[in-house]
Amino acid sequence: MKHYKKPINSYIGAVLITSTALVFSPVEWIPTAHAASCCGGGSASSLVLPKFSKAMLDVSMDYEHYDGFWDNNGDWVEDPEGSSLNQYRINMGYAHRLAPNWQGSVTLPYVFNQNKYASLERNTNGIGDGTVSVWYEAFEKITCVWDVKNWEDLMPAIYMGGTLTIPTGTSPYDDVVDNFDITGRGAYRLDASVLIDKTIYPWNMSFGASYGKYLERPVNREYGTYVAPYHKQYGDRLNTNLSFGYTYFTDEMESITTTLAYAILKEDEARIDGVIDTTSGISKESVSMTMAWATENRDWVYKLTYSHAPSRDGWGENFPTTDVLTVGVSHVLR
Amino acid sequence: MSYAKTLQQLLALSLLVFGLGACDLKDDLLPSSSDQRGAVTTGSTGNMPGQIAADFTIKDLNGNDFILSDHLTGGSNPADVVVLYFTMWCPICLSHSDHIYTNVMPQFLGRGTVVYGLVDYVSGSVSATYAAAQANGYVGSSYSILADVDQAVLNQFNGAMGITIVIDSDGTILMNEDYRTGDTLVQILDQQLP
Repeated sequence: MKHYKKPINSYIGAVLITSTALVFSPVEWIPTAHAASCCGGGSASSLVLPKFSKAMLDVSMDYEHYDGFWDNNGDWVEDPEGSSLNQYRINMGYAHRLAPNWQGSVTLPYVFNQNKYASLERNTNGIGDGTVSVWYEAFEKITCVWDVKNWEDLMPAIYMGGTLTIPTGTSPYDDVVDNFDITGRGAYRLDASVLIDKTIYPWNMSFGASYGKYLERPVNREYGTYVAPYHKQYGDRLNTNLSFGYTYFTDEMESITTTLAYAILKEDEARIDGVIDTTSGISKESVSMTMAWATENRDWVYKLTYSHAPSRDGWGENFPTTDVLTVGVSHVLR
Repeated sequence: MSYAKTLQQLLALSLLVFGLGACDLKDDLLPSSSDQRGAVTTGSTGNMPGQIAADFTIKDLNGNDFILSDHLTGGSNPADVVVLYFTMWCPICLSHSDHIYTNVMPQFLGRGTVVYGLVDYVSGSVSATYAAAQANGYVGSSYSILADVDQAVLNQFNGAMGITIVIDSDGTILMNEDYRTGDTLVQILDQQLP
């Protein structure tokens, strides 16, 4: 429960509290769980093509349920009575090998917003923000091993990449009716990423981090109403995750991998006409579990992920508290 | 293999459909900095800055009527400025309303009279608005918490989450835009208040 706010007279002479929050966009806060690790078989990492594979198709569906939010003090606050806020996403991804150590990928979500309040119900849909990525593989051979015989067997797979997020979604600055139409943030973002993945069967561990910088954009419309033009730049974004997995092999050498992951998302305050917006800035922590089943040849990977953010104080700031259920399938082309 | 081909075709088709859908999204892909605001006839009734706000009645947390004209010149409880903030009790809404509460209100204490209204357009009843205000820590605060149960006020001002309305004592709209940093609100209050 949020603290009681005293009547304004009580604030005379008090230290002014600076509050922070985010511009609420209901999409893209949870990195979509794509299938296939560097070895094939699946982990909760980015859309990464297994080494030596030619291409990969990935389709997944997310169901994201909103359950309150964290305020700028990190206190969890419940949603209004009678509300049911959900978002469904169909995510499509394609990864392609560009060179022996280079791969590229594109992703595009289609978003369905389902907002129900006691006196208001709005169901909208549209494409979300797409991404284009390029990854460099800083290793020459598959690094997944069964036994550690020498120090080389300990070498992880290291990927370094860049992602451009393209504002193909509907933002508050498009010709929208209101905030319920929003499916994207409305700004380009460049991310530099690193992914370190090591498998010593049956165990796997991976660490991913990305640092993103939004490009400044002009704004001349808010929720469909033209306003005096200004420039806006969202704050820099840091996304990190750490995961541990265990793989079980069937007699037919199909694999079932269970992965537990912990992720932290932080975004700095935005700038409007160069001035810091102290009401912006976000953070969120979440945990997830992924089950991935891969066929014997690792060409098909089926995945189920549940991502959970606790409805408790201290797990986020200025951000909706959500749980996400993802089901997906990937097909690797050799 | 045919399964894979079908999947590829579906992906290609989807990308095409989505691509077509993206054609009207150039506001984000190629955002414009040109001022597209239309001309406003001063003194006309409407929701744009420079226009006169039509009178409205809305319930407060006690079930009493909050009537705009009561807070204008000649009304029963006149103010120098009326500030309305549209909230759906979301993170950005709370951050903005907290910012008004802790940063803006104290700056103008003792300078004229300002009515700060927090307009809840999602809860649907006074009792639900009360519960939401309580969960967000505003019961007993200096805000007038207003229950826009049928979104009449929201529609009147073409409002949305975070939209802030400022109305002077003559009923003229001075601001109708996103709260952003709060600087515009502060500037307007500074100009309007004695």
